[in-house]
Amino acid sequence: MPTEEARKNFHRELDEVRQELVRISASIVENIPRATTILLDQNLVDAEKMILADDEVDARTLEIEERCIQILALQAPVAGELRRVVAALKICAELERSADLAVNICKAARRIHGHEFDPRLRSLVLKMSDQARLLFSEATSAYAEVDSARAAAIDDMDSFLDGLHRQFIQAILESHAAGRIDLQVAIQLAVVARFYERIGDHAVNMGEKVRYEATGWVPEQFGAERHRRRLVDPTPVGGIGRAVPGTDGE
Amino acid sequence: MSFVLGVIVGLGLALLIAVPFLKSRFHNRARNLEKAASERTNDAIARFENQSLLIRTALDSLTVGVVVASAKGEVLFRNRVASGMTGALHADVLVDEAVDVHLRGALSGEHRRQVIELFGPPSRVVLVAAYPIEEGGALATIEDITERSRLDAVRTDFVANISHELKTPVGALAVLAEALADETEPEVIRRLSSKMVEESIRAGRTIDDLLELSRIELGGEAIKEAIAVGLVIAEAVDRVRTLADRRGVVLRVLEPGERLKVLGDRRQIVSALGNLVENAVKYSESGKLVEVSASTDGLSVDMRVRDEGMGIPSRDLDRIFERFYRVDRARSRETGGTGLGLAIVRHVANNHGGDVLVSSIEGEGSTFTLRIPAAPGLTVASSLSEAG
Repeated sequence: MPTEEARKNFHRELDEVRQELVRISASIVENIPRATTILLDQNLVDAEKMILADDEVDARTLEIEERCIQILALQAPVAGELRRVVAALKICAELERSADLAVNICKAARRIHGHEFDPRLRSLVLKMSDQARLLFSEATSAYAEVDSARAAAIDDMDSFLDGLHRQFIQAILESHAAGRIDLQVAIQLAVVARFYERIGDHAVNMGEKVRYEATGWVPEQFGAERHRRRLVDPTPVGGIGRAVPGTDGE
Repeated sequence: MSFVLGVIVGLGLALLIAVPFLKSRFHNRARNLEKAASERTNDAIARFENQSLLIRTALDSLTVGVVVASAKGEVLFRNRVASGMTGALHADVLVDEAVDVHLRGALSGEHRRQVIELFGPPSRVVLVAAYPIEEGGALATIEDITERSRLDAVRTDFVANISHELKTPVGALAVLAEALADETEPEVIRRLSSKMVEESIRAGRTIDDLLELSRIELGGEAIKEAIAVGLVIAEAVDRVRTLADRRGVVLRVLEPGERLKVLGDRRQIVSALGNLVENAVKYSESGKLVEVSASTDGLSVDMRVRDEGMGIPSRDLDRIFERFYRVDRARSRETGGTGLGLAIVRHVANNHGGDVLVSSIEGEGSTFTLRIPAAPGLTVASSLSEAG
């Protein structure tokens, strides 16, 4: 039967899209500690390699994006299948951005080349890197297995990374006050910390897309709900929001 | 006429009787043939199943992953190791991707090989290879070569390091001697010759350590006697006290119980623990603490050296016990070590059937534990009197 055959092809295509995204995502999980080692060793040769390799991720995400758009146009999926394609499209963007952030860490390695920074800062960079990697690895597995419970846990893990980020900024300030690092290096390191923190955020976003795919839930619904209520009943800020569980997701 | 009729009727009757009879005979024969054929087929299938089970079991017991694909690219078979690598873990995804890509390459007739270095943790090196199969289809193998590539790195580094460690002082000696030959100023001569003495001591120390290491490596007849841990610690710490005072590092010993004893070669264990304490002092800043303690679980004794120094990056942790391995090359001259200390410690531990463990956080400090079997007679009750 031709329709059955078409359906089979359609499902195979959806599976292939997921597989390719999971593969790109896995390569980013791998690149996070790689970028950190490049940064800590100030290895400019490997930094250059990784910066160039990002073009491949760009090409791959672009291809998947086009494929998703083609599926939408030609197959007009609905319900769960529509969410699946939309989630893939959105995750595609998260991946592209996360890969860029890992590359940015390598670029920062070039900018701080020749400057030492103390072991405490190095140790915190490693901890942030580990945590960012862990978040991304969880997001990858959650997406591969469409496991919305696993995806939901990523948000909680992210608060630990945020804590490390604050701790790191504090340590940079102390290090600078003690005259152990230049202002320029201090600023670069603060920017690097932000990269890890952002990678964590993208992992959280990926988790949310997995939940969207599975259930149709998006965190922005809380914000939208608050906004709707404010339109109806414009009481001063503070009185609102408490009625709605959770905080803003983005 | 009636005779003719009788014959016809007779023949007709005979036919009527014979036809079903013959029919059933033919049927029986056909059934028998069919039965025999199906028995043969069943036998063949059973034999084939046995064989394929055997091959499957054999492939499953390999430590190498094997994946077989048909000419169309469908995966027909994965052995146990290869099946274990198809999960949602990111490392598995990457290995699986490589297998996929190279199988496709092999289907178009190419031989493919790729070494994948996975950052982990744990970091792994995986070799993926794919070959075309003559009857059509392709075969891929997945091999974990982490240990092999680690040993390769150790070997190349050892050769590079030993030439560096020995050539540096010898080169310096040559230059100093050359300068000395044309010198007449007594003050300069004194300075140059004292430098020469310094460099020869350095070369001598490296050679001494190398000899000590190869002596310990060879094993030989180590004297095994019960030694009080308190005495071992006291002797090891005494060797380093001057250095600690000079560097302003605080040495603290948590006295172990008197009955805590290890079984081993006293000289070797003191030298191993001394090396650990010396390292801790060398890599600590002024005012920081180095603490030596011991404890036991009844079977072995853990001698622990804890410092608040710069710590060791986690990626270096599994390599620091190699000969001449340096976490920070730039500092190696500054601390004046020979790069053999920890290699000696590890060999002493191995010779005694013990172990040396390290845990470290960069920027917070390290703890080295030398684990040596306890002397017999050490009861659990006495272990309660441990210090720490």
